[in-house]
Amino acid sequence: MKVALTVYLKELADALRDRRTWMVVLISSIVAGPVSLLLLASFVSDIEASAAKREVLVAGGQHAPQLANFLARAGARVSEAPADFRERQRDGRLQQAVIVVPEDFERRLARGEDARLQLVFDDSGTKAQASSRAAAGLLRAWQRELASQGLMARGVSPQLLTRFSVEEVNLAPSRSRGAQLLFLVPWLAMLGSVVGAISVAIDVTAGERERGSLEPLLMNPVPAWAVVLGKWGVVATSAIAVVLLTLAGFALAMQFVRSETLAALMQFGPRELAVFLAVLLPFAGFMAALLMLAAAYGRSYKEAQTYASYITMLVNFLPILPLFLSLRDAPWQLAVPALGQQMVLARVLRGEAVGWPELMAPGALALAGTLVCLALLARLLRAERIVFAR
Amino acid sequence: MIEVGHLSKSFVSGRGRRQQRIAAVSDVSFTAPDGQITALLGPNGAGKTTTLRILATLMRADGGTARVGGLDVQAQPLAVRASLGVLSDARGLYGRLTARENVAYYACLRGLADATWQARLAEMARLLDMDSLLDRPTAGFSTGERMKVALARALIHDPAHLILDEPTNGLDVLSTRALRALLRHLRERGKCIVFSSHIMQEVDALADTLVIVAHGRTVASGTPQAIAAGGALEDAFVRLAFGEAA
Repeated sequence: MKVALTVYLKELADALRDRRTWMVVLISSIVAGPVSLLLLASFVSDIEASAAKREVLVAGGQHAPQLANFLARAGARVSEAPADFRERQRDGRLQQAVIVVPEDFERRLARGEDARLQLVFDDSGTKAQASSRAAAGLLRAWQRELASQGLMARGVSPQLLTRFSVEEVNLAPSRSRGAQLLFLVPWLAMLGSVVGAISVAIDVTAGERERGSLEPLLMNPVPAWAVVLGKWGVVATSAIAVVLLTLAGFALAMQFVRSETLAALMQFGPRELAVFLAVLLPFAGFMAALLMLAAAYGRSYKEAQTYASYITMLVNFLPILPLFLSLRDAPWQLAVPALGQQMVLARVLRGEAVGWPELMAPGALALAGTLVCLALLARLLRAERIVFAR
Repeated sequence: MIEVGHLSKSFVSGRGRRQQRIAAVSDVSFTAPDGQITALLGPNGAGKTTTLRILATLMRADGGTARVGGLDVQAQPLAVRASLGVLSDARGLYGRLTARENVAYYACLRGLADATWQARLAEMARLLDMDSLLDRPTAGFSTGERMKVALARALIHDPAHLILDEPTNGLDVLSTRALRALLRHLRERGKCIVFSSHIMQEVDALADTLVIVAHGRTVASGTPQAIAAGGALEDAFVRLAFGEAA
């Protein structure tokens, strides 16, 4: 154990003096985590805010007092559109749809002639789509109101216009709306463990051999498992550090965002944080061991990077699989690394109840995987073809 | 004392149908007594490095015996490593650590007390004239400087046996002289020293006993004078290692 500690302390000092380690830690935790969350949060809250505000832009509103009256009754806030709204919409400065009222609109309407309103928008932006849908909905409602008034004035029941009505019942739990967001947080945290482990894992295995320092190291009277354990400790430390930083970044971002929309979409409080740690720490340890094992087969740093990138790709890809295949959560997914973690963590964020078996299974499998990888590594360190790269 | 008897080792090269076994060592035998410097002399690819790696417990021999201080290298590898200092072909220093930290790492792995290894390092720094190197990261070191640090690291536990693989490779004349002086100093203290070389002058200047290895076999052993048999050592070596035709 003392040997493992010695190896750990040396490798830790070595890794901390490596600029690559710091670059990885900084980039992954600061950029990948909070920044993406902040972007998404502002995106989500903007959409919801403009929809909730029902701000309607009207050009030439003075020509249609009736319309203004209806919009006010419908709870929308009417503003006059800026004079150059078409230009602004085209270059993306104005994301809202604009209702254009021609000068003779009210007169033609009163005479029963063909009266026209224009709804002007540029739907290349997501927000503009929401806004134009809302404005169109309001205009249709006014249309119905005018029509039923006309029918009633002629003694006809307005019911004739709508022989049946459609009521929308959305069965998805309200928090599922943020599906993309729910997917992103655990996914980034898992990627964090890989990103944190990868360069250190290669450095302590293939890097050690490429420097020619593996051969002298193994001539010390120490058991191979102790060397492997110490090295794994440092790789796992690096992986866990990036996971912790990423999660801390999320927690911090949640504090800053304070959006009710986001809070309604997902839960990320102390309890969720605890579950995240319980699931992600064993996963980070497993990734550390797996990446070391893959890198140990590389004859050079470069070859090791190739092998390690296969694992990175799997961790990238496995959690996305259910989205593409429209898979529903199933117990077998717990047994698949990365997929199991993704499933459990997404459920936690959705605020669903997660039982002990679901919490423990991925962790136990990760632990078993770690032990297998470390045992294989200890064997590899005694193999001539690995030590001398034959 | 290091004893090697009829050692053999072969490697598999290539894959599938082109796979073939290449014998690196087929019959190497020698005895290196304590208090002497024994040189393994042979052309490139003669099997010197493989023999030394088997002695250092990094490779398993296919046949024959190898003992270090009476201990079998395959049966008791940890005990053999404890009594052995090895300067391998690959010096293998950690570039981001200072020379002192490089040595300290191995001292800790061997469980030495701080005071013990620091005193030894101070003495070796004096013998090898490397005081000014100790607290610099080893990344930019020259070949000679790297050799000194690696040698100090290999000797930090004051081993009874010392194995050096091509120790003078790439060294300038001053570093070579420092190395020779240290090896003679260690011989006087009764250490058993084995080194490999393909350079005649090196062997002539240092070795008490000469073992000539060619094509994986020991072809001659004895004092340099006995092997030279009155003539030039180089002529004797070429005749023994490459045959009469050369």
